[in-house]
Order: sequence, then C-alpha cells, then structure tokens
Amino acid sequence: MTRNAAAVLVVAALALALPLLIRDPFLTHIMIVVLLYAVLASSLNLIVGYIGQLSLAHAAFLGIGAYWSTILTIDYGWNIWVAMATAGIAAAIAGVVIGTITLRLEGHYFVLITLAFAEVLRLVALNWVEVTRGPLGFPNVPAPALNLFGVARFDFHDKAHFYYLILALLAVNLYVTYRFVHSNMGRAAVAIRENRQLAQSVGINPFRYALLAFVIGAFFAGLSGAFYAHYITYVGPEVFGFAFTVTMLIMIIVGGKATIAGPVIGAAIIAVLLEELRFAKEIRLSIFGILLVLSVLFFPNGLVRIAQMFGLAKREL
Amino acid sequence: MLEAGLQFFVNGLVTGCFYALIALGLTLIFGMMGVVNFAHGEFFVLGGVFAYVFVALMGVPFWLAVILVVVVMAAMGALFDVLLVRPLRSHHILSTALVTIGLSIFLLNTTLVLFGPSPRSVETGFAKAPILIGPVVLTEARVFAMILAITAILLLHLLIQKTKLGRAMRATFQNRDAAALVGVNIEFVYTFTFAIGTAMAALAGALLGAIFVVHPSTAEVATLKAFVVVILGGMGSFPGAIAGGLILGIIESLWGGFFSSGYQDVIGFVLVILILLFKPTGLFSGSTR
Repeated sequence: MTRNAAAVLVVAALALALPLLIRDPFLTHIMIVVLLYAVLASSLNLIVGYIGQLSLAHAAFLGIGAYWSTILTIDYGWNIWVAMATAGIAAAIAGVVIGTITLRLEGHYFVLITLAFAEVLRLVALNWVEVTRGPLGFPNVPAPALNLFGVARFDFHDKAHFYYLILALLAVNLYVTYRFVHSNMGRAAVAIRENRQLAQSVGINPFRYALLAFVIGAFFAGLSGAFYAHYITYVGPEVFGFAFTVTMLIMIIVGGKATIAGPVIGAAIIAVLLEELRFAKEIRLSIFGILLVLSVLFFPNGLVRIAQMFGLAKREL
Repeated sequence: MLEAGLQFFVNGLVTGCFYALIALGLTLIFGMMGVVNFAHGEFFVLGGVFAYVFVALMGVPFWLAVILVVVVMAAMGALFDVLLVRPLRSHHILSTALVTIGLSIFLLNTTLVLFGPSPRSVETGFAKAPILIGPVVLTEARVFAMILAITAILLLHLLIQKTKLGRAMRATFQNRDAAALVGVNIEFVYTFTFAIGTAMAALAGALLGAIFVVHPSTAEVATLKAFVVVILGGMGSFPGAIAGGLILGIIESLWGGFFSSGYQDVIGFVLVILILLFKPTGLFSGSTR
C-alpha cells in the first residue's frame, strides 16, 4: 500500500508539472483530450467493468452535460461555474431516470435499451430546434474565468488552465472510483457480476448497486460534457454520437476493464494513437479498426491485467 | 385525408419490406447466436458494393451477380466467425461487441477508400418505366428484387425448419450443451449461421442497390434499423422479423406523413424501449427461442 501511495504521488507530481515542462499548445491540447477521455472512460468503467453490463448510453450523459451548461450560460446568462457544476447534477438525475428503467434488463437487452436511449436523446438534440438550435448547435461557447479573491486570476486563454481543471476533475473521479470499488458497495457490485444468483442469495440487491454505479458514472460524464463544451467552444448533436461511447469502450478494454488505472492508460494510448495515425491519411481508420480487433482478440483483459500478471502492478489498481 | 393515409401506408409497406430484408440476417446472428453485431450494416453495404463491381466492372448479369454476392459474402462471414467471433465465444459481451465494432470501422473506412464517396447504382438491365397498380408505383427491377427477396426468405425458412442442418441449428441455439452431447458439431453450426446471416445482409444490400443506390454512409442506419426490427419481432423469429419490419415501416411512414418527419426515426427506438420493458420476447411470442 505504501508503494502504491508513493506511485500515486509521483504520478500526481508529474501530472502537475507537465504543463510547466511542455509549453507547446498542441501537445497541451493532446494532454487535455487524454484527461477528458480518461474521466469519461473511467466513469463508464464503473458500469461496464465493475457491474459487468455493457452500457451504450454514456455519450447521452456527456451530451446532457454539454447542452445543459451551454444553454444555461448562453441563453439564460448563468454563471459558467454554476452551469458546469449543475451539469453533473442534471446528468446524474438523467442517470437515475434512465438507469431505473434500463437496469431492470441484463445482457443483450441492456445493450440495446441503452443504445435506444442514446439514440432518442441524439434525435431530440437534432430536432428540438427551439432549445438546442438543431443541427447547427452552439458556436462560441464562452470560456470560464476564475478570480480567486484578487490574489490569482485565471482567464483560461492559456490552455494550461483547462489542463489543470480537467486534471482536478480526473483526480476527484479516480478518488471516488477508488472509494466506491474498495467499499462494501464495490465488493457487492463485483459479487453481482461474478455470480448474480449467489449474490442475491446473501441479500445483495443487484439493482441498487448497479444503479448507484450508473448514476456516479453519469455524474462524471455530465461534468466532462460541460468541460468539453467550454473547452472546444462548440456543441452540436454529435456529442450524443455513438462514436464517443465507442471510443470510451475501446479505451476501457485496451487499458483493462474493472481496474482503476486501466481506463486512464487506455485513454492515453488510444488518444495518442489516433493522433499518430494521422500520417496514414485516409486509411487511418482502417488501421485503427484492425488494431482494435487485434487488441481485443489477443489482450481481452487489457494492459493493466497483463502488468499484474507479471507483478508490475498491484491488484488494487 | 384517407387517400393520403393510404399512400403513406403503401409507402410504409414498401420501406417495411426492405427493413425486414435487412433485419433477416441479424435475426440469425444476433437473435439466434446472441452476437451483438455492429458490423451488420457494413455487410449490407458490402453486398451492394460487390453487386456493383460484378455488374458494372465485370459485366456479369444482375441475377448471377446476386448469387455471386451471396456466395462471396457467405465465405467472408464464415471467415469472420472463425477468426474473430469464435475465439471470444465464452467472453464478456463487451469483447464481442468491440470486435464487431472494430470490424465495422475497418470495413466502412476501407470501403470508402476503395469505392469512393459518390453513390453508385447497380444496373439490372430491366426497363425503367414505372408500372402503376392503383396508387402503388412499381418498376420491373423492384418486382424482380421482391421476388428474389421472397425466394431467399422461403429457402431460409425451409432450410431451418425442414433440413437436418436446420434442426441442428435450432437445437444448438436452444441448448448448446445438450446439442453437443447428442453429437451436433456446434462450432460448425455457429460458423454456418454467421455465414448465412452475413450473406442475407449482403443480399439485402445487393437488391436495395438495384432499387436505390449503393453508398457506405447507409451502413449505420442499416445496423440500427436491423436491431430495432429484431427486437420488435422477437429474438430469432423469422416471421417476427418480417412482421416487425413491416410494422416499423408503416408506423414511421404514417407518423412522418401526418405529424413530423424529424422525429420519424425516434419511433423505432421508443418502440424498442417499450417492448424490452413490457414484452421482451417481442410482439410475436412463440418464437423459436
């Protein structure tokens, strides 16, 4: 455990120092994308990895958070920080509603009902023009600014400010995930995944724990959505797209599902890989598809599990 | 009002036939085998692409091109099953789903690169003049495509209900362990089923390519509609898939005609949610599963 704590401290110090070492805006952008995807993938990992149900609705919560924060700041003049923070709550409430309905089902049925919900929300974002501005979406979403009692001022013109904001979100997300997984709730969730009947027979209510994991995941996806909106400065119906969910799932499986470090490592590898593959121009996605198929076939348990097999990583990760 | 309604109904019926045709292959792969196949729309598109290649570039007559498409894509499907799906048969649903997603990304992008972004049409050699039967507009190509589709469906039905292999398929998907115990080669049955499912998707692509156009961008819609139809009709039921396709087509067309065409695509997904919650065996229970 102390070795783990030391490792966490080293990684945290490195993450904090990175923007000071790398001043290149493009590289900073890549790092921000990695961290954003790390939050998304690790929040989805709660339900996919620990509960063991394949949810395709995660982009829906990303989209709800993005639209919530954008519409409230642009059309209703809310303070950006309030809008961003409440985006998490809005997504969590949506998570309660959608989770209560969908988590009654399992396996293939759960996959399809979550896909159906994500598609319904995407089509609503596309067609409810009065509120969402339809396919045009919102350009020029404002960046936040932070004034700490006149002592320090962050105007977010510098990408490094965004970097620290998403890093903070990832830290909170990982901490909550760690606490959840290593609590009785997390152990109950894993028990349900491994043997549902047995877990029920000792009095574990599968629905309750699955819903909790689902809602925590939705909360962080909503916050990431708000971050995405104010960082990219554009929000359109694409945020609900299947492509987002797919990217998160790929990151989870490459890094290692049902591990804490896995989705973060997966996010770093996949985001950088997609960037590096730009040299391949139009066959970029063909190569990506092959790499995805090969990684699932040959490393279905992900990199972190391989590292654990060789004793390179602790089981707690 | 009534006349418009009738027209919408007929339009929906035609679209519904195509939905049913696209969904039949997925009834085998998803409904029976339980593989959440996100590459289904790409199989569909590849069918159209191969039909175009055979007819336009190699000068093969349309009917022969359709048979070639079925053979080529069945072989491809068997290959996909052996290489990609079989190793993950006992794995978590996430692994299988991601492999088919990887396959679909690869196939879609590679098709786009090789085939180009412009839509092509498969020439059938039939007269283009429309045949009018009351309010229904038909062309010779359409009639021919319908006949081929119905023949394929009937053959598939006979294969599954009347042959020894069909009985082995039904046994395997009802209880694979028991089927294996009585000597059914279940790995062969799985691969065969996947191959036939792929070929059916490709057949739909070839026929629709003759009626409309072939274009890679239709893959995603085809996948989603096929999933909707399979759920509507009940997992693994052929009559269900056909009825599900027709119902989806008709409801969409009526809704789009009388209310709002923007929300037309929402209907299928709302139906999926309602059916999974209240009648997960599909609208027509008593299926083979």
